[in-house]
Amino acid sequence: MKKLILSAILISTVGFSQNMNFQNSAMRQLSNLENSENRITLGGYGEINFNGYDGKPNEIDVQRLVLLFAYKFDDRTQFVTEVEYEHVKEVYVEQAFVNYNITDNLNARAGLMLVPMGIINEYHEGPTYNGVERPSLDGKVIPTTWREIGFGIAGRSNELSFRYQLYAMNGFVSFNEDYVLRGSDGFRKGRQKGAESVNSDMNFAAKIEYYGLPNIRFGLAAYSGKTQTTDLEDAATQVGLTMLDADYRYAKGRFSSRGQWVKTSLRDVAAYNAAGNKDLGSAMGGYYIEGAYNLLPLTNRQRLDIFVRYEDFDTHKKTDGGMMANPAYHRKETTVGFSYHLAPGVVFKGDYQSKKTAASDDVVGQLNFGVGFFF
Amino acid sequence: MKILSLSAFLLSLKLSLVGVVFSLHISKKAEREINKVFEIDNANFVQTLDQDIPGIDKDRLYTIFDQGNALGFAYVGEASSQTDTFEYLVVFDTNFAVKKAKVLVYREDYGSEIGSKRWLKQFLDKTPNDRFAYRQNIAAISGATISVKSMTNAMNNLMISLASWQNNGKPNKS
Repeated sequence: MKKLILSAILISTVGFSQNMNFQNSAMRQLSNLENSENRITLGGYGEINFNGYDGKPNEIDVQRLVLLFAYKFDDRTQFVTEVEYEHVKEVYVEQAFVNYNITDNLNARAGLMLVPMGIINEYHEGPTYNGVERPSLDGKVIPTTWREIGFGIAGRSNELSFRYQLYAMNGFVSFNEDYVLRGSDGFRKGRQKGAESVNSDMNFAAKIEYYGLPNIRFGLAAYSGKTQTTDLEDAATQVGLTMLDADYRYAKGRFSSRGQWVKTSLRDVAAYNAAGNKDLGSAMGGYYIEGAYNLLPLTNRQRLDIFVRYEDFDTHKKTDGGMMANPAYHRKETTVGFSYHLAPGVVFKGDYQSKKTAASDDVVGQLNFGVGFFF
Repeated sequence: MKILSLSAFLLSLKLSLVGVVFSLHISKKAEREINKVFEIDNANFVQTLDQDIPGIDKDRLYTIFDQGNALGFAYVGEASSQTDTFEYLVVFDTNFAVKKAKVLVYREDYGSEIGSKRWLKQFLDKTPNDRFAYRQNIAAISGATISVKSMTNAMNNLMISLASWQNNGKPNKS
């Protein structure tokens, strides 16, 4: 009897493996197709905004519309891309990378990726932040949406409640047949976005985030390297930089808050400015802090957050080579408004911004409305 | 002879099917975790339910045995993350108090923070009489809102289903 069972098991095992072997490519194709709905992910987000200005025409814009595609080759290997339309007519690839899951705690990544710096650069879908416009700090100092081509590792530890990212990436271009960086917005004009980018020096980016305490999440990021140039002979076409960020996000009950501090130190700025007749600062930085309160009961599906955000940053925190700091580059902005979350993933926003600089006491007002979505 | 081999074949088929069910829902990873919770080496599992009950498929809930003694229950669930699904394990003692909640398989980067031991600790010792609400008695994790809400809802629904099953002692038809 025992023998019989054993032989029966053997027979059934053989039968099983034969089934596997007899599966031809068409059958495999079919079983792939059966799984295909889980392999392809479609998503998107976008913002359509109205900006009302003092003393100049208002602007209405489909600021961005981003389509997300992801394809899963197997449980370990995934390709992710985001195709972005800015102002309806400009097309960019915002992300395009392959993620390979080595262990639960470790992934290898390569391609066009977001630089992990600050909150908004990585989490920038409309319903995830308050304000029609992104914080100005995340524009002038951290030039969101900042992405470059590179490779590295990313992962998390469930035991220690932290997430890490470490990448070697291409950097900002400072000289592309002409000098491109300037004092008013630092590295913003130097973003290459992965489009026929110039590469002369490798840069490094790292971020760790800790979420082991209830309701709060901390982030620390560092970026270091040198800008890229097309003129390898001329050292005055490049600057060095180190950018540091500390940020937090807090949410408990109806109250939420976030804040961010950024400091960028630049090197060899005096020679760059002199050669290119530019006004790049040798240190930039600042902070913002924001608080929000949900007016609706927590049991509601909808959320109506009122918020206030204060920003103080300066792209001429320090200057080099005897250049006077431009007080107009030291901005102080207050934004007051609401985010009405109609459904998870859809938000209607409105706010009023008062902006001033250290150059004068004049306050410039701006009224904004927008719809944002994320699915 | 023919009959014998046929019945043996059927038996082996049944054995292998049971094996498949186990490997689908009580994975090696889940088994390791359960052994750790009860500080034993070789837990055995028997399907707790003989039919689906509202909110709980019969092949997701198992009674945990060690050397013939029932130690508790294991529930293996699936919930949505932003663009995919994740699998989680809830280990109960014999009174259905949570001894452990763990994310077994998480398939994307977004929201992976819910695997945090510290965050999952919030469900410990809770029973089917407890209810969970995001940002009320369950802490938020900024940047992982979708998965946090999903896990919170999944745990809440599980408790509701278990409570109604316990109270009725039989499947609720409504």
